[in-house]
Amino acid sequence: MTAAPTLAADSMRATTAQRPVLHVEDLKAYYRTRHFGVEREVKAVDGVTFEVRANEIYGLAGESSSGKSTLIKTIAAAMRPPLEIVGGTLAFSFFPGGKGLHQATSAELAAMRWRRLSYIMQGSMSVLNPVRRVRRSFEDFAGRHVRATVASFETHVREHLALVRLEPGVLDAYPHELSGGMRQRVTIALATICRPDFVIADEPTTALDVVVQKDVLDMIRNIQREMGSSLLLVTHDLGVHAYVTDRLAVMYAGRLVEEARTPELFSSPQHPYTRHLIASLPRIGDNTPRVSLTGSPPNLAAPPSGCRFHPRCPLAGDRCRRETPVMTASGPDHRVACFAVSGGTA
Amino acid sequence: MTAALLELSHVSKTFGSGRPLARRRVPAVSDVSFALQTEVAEILTIVGQSGSGKTTLARMILGLDVPTEGHIRLLGHDVSRTLGKLARRFVLGTVQPVFQNPFEAFNPLRQLDYYLFLTARHFGAADDQQHAHNSADAALRQVGLSLSEIAGRYPHELSGGQLQRAAIARALLARPKLIVADEPVSMVDASLRMSIVNLFKTLRDELGISLIYITHDLATAYYISDRILIMHEGKVVESGDARTVLAAPQHPYSRRLKEAVLVPEFSSAQSI
Repeated sequence: MTAAPTLAADSMRATTAQRPVLHVEDLKAYYRTRHFGVEREVKAVDGVTFEVRANEIYGLAGESSSGKSTLIKTIAAAMRPPLEIVGGTLAFSFFPGGKGLHQATSAELAAMRWRRLSYIMQGSMSVLNPVRRVRRSFEDFAGRHVRATVASFETHVREHLALVRLEPGVLDAYPHELSGGMRQRVTIALATICRPDFVIADEPTTALDVVVQKDVLDMIRNIQREMGSSLLLVTHDLGVHAYVTDRLAVMYAGRLVEEARTPELFSSPQHPYTRHLIASLPRIGDNTPRVSLTGSPPNLAAPPSGCRFHPRCPLAGDRCRRETPVMTASGPDHRVACFAVSGGTA
Repeated sequence: MTAALLELSHVSKTFGSGRPLARRRVPAVSDVSFALQTEVAEILTIVGQSGSGKTTLARMILGLDVPTEGHIRLLGHDVSRTLGKLARRFVLGTVQPVFQNPFEAFNPLRQLDYYLFLTARHFGAADDQQHAHNSADAALRQVGLSLSEIAGRYPHELSGGQLQRAAIARALLARPKLIVADEPVSMVDASLRMSIVNLFKTLRDELGISLIYITHDLATAYYISDRILIMHEGKVVESGDARTVLAAPQHPYSRRLKEAVLVPEFSSAQSI
């Protein structure tokens, strides 16, 4: 690896730095089912707007059934009925015409997947084929994207493995022979081997042990900085977000409630939900009692009117029950969707 | 002197693997000793990464596995052998489990109240349906639910937090002296997690129920536990008062575990 190509790539990226790699505008993705004439809609993603900039790690936090996974599926064009996009736009900078992948033809999609957009998944055991050596997984995933002879492909894979601090010997191993941390490194190597512009990481460390988790996160950050690509990191664990992400968005019941630079989100959260989440994190050395929110996350088939957080919000007023707050800027790089915060009265 | 609530002396468990002639022995737990007293209810946390033997230890305390060596005594009775029906009843009347994933702990095709009534009749001395109803309702109220919310409902109709509370209520019906909770909050949503953790504190303080809390999360361990055992490769590497141990861990492994905790920088003073 020489320094020259990296520099060239850097200056190229600097010129395109203004343009976000992914721009999502008012995206609505619903699960629509019809059984015996009864229609049902689950509004899993409802009016989400955000952008992921070049060379950053963008975090998405939210509890289960907040719509995180639906959002990633929509972005990666991995939708299956009954999930469908019912409104809004998605635009990838690398897709000519600035369209979303769901508008791509299958040939375009095949050309862009893995070279442009790839995916680090949670369960490394279910990504790698258990009855094939790791080498075969690399051939399956990347063989057709890296146009090379067998020998040069092998060299390419070995160089890339060195980047994630894995011995070339793992290529001859079966997945069950590797430890959980090593397997997750292999899946990270698989996802980044084509140096994609955009990587989605869905709970990349949830299945790992605490001790290994930090190493894997360090590695994800190093490899992202090295490649200069954008990474969308999705996890419910706020500790992980605080450790690696540059900007962080919090999702609740299908909508974004707050977005800010990560250190700012932790130091001055504004939405009542974010404030609660952060205040309830237990810490070593801190013994003050933690409180829990009342109620439970809403059913997205029949979400509450107005602000979806109002039934559990201590600051809720009449306006919150009637109107839906939109994300408004409350500072540089800080947006929040709450009437009680954005100046108005609740 | 009264017998200790739970006493483990030099408990070991090895699993065998491989064919009879090439048998390998895998030690899961080796030489663990500790005791819980009857007089004071306390929360004992067992921390360690996966494969450290935490769950095997819990299964032995619950009488689900038999130790290879050593003895486990519950209120003075030795329970470290294959248990007959009566002995099993005694164990489950004293120690009750709460599992990690409440959706897997209950049969998805059964209504939840079935489990509550079953436990009430077997262990809660409820001799008729009316009595079972009353005690189920009382137990559910202790965890912040009520029978009218639960009756006739299936596990998928409740959120993870509610279901975990129902699981704890079911454990309470047996009027245990000890609850063994294996990763009870790792499947519960963040906004509800602390309510379960706080509930364990309430059970200790108000009902005098001791808790063995098994986790890999040092932050919640610090928050609720009185005593802590740190396990690594089947051995207890460090134990003692939770706050003291976690503030200044001595063993290299405990230090590594503490360094691995991702702590966001924030001020805990703010709340809503």
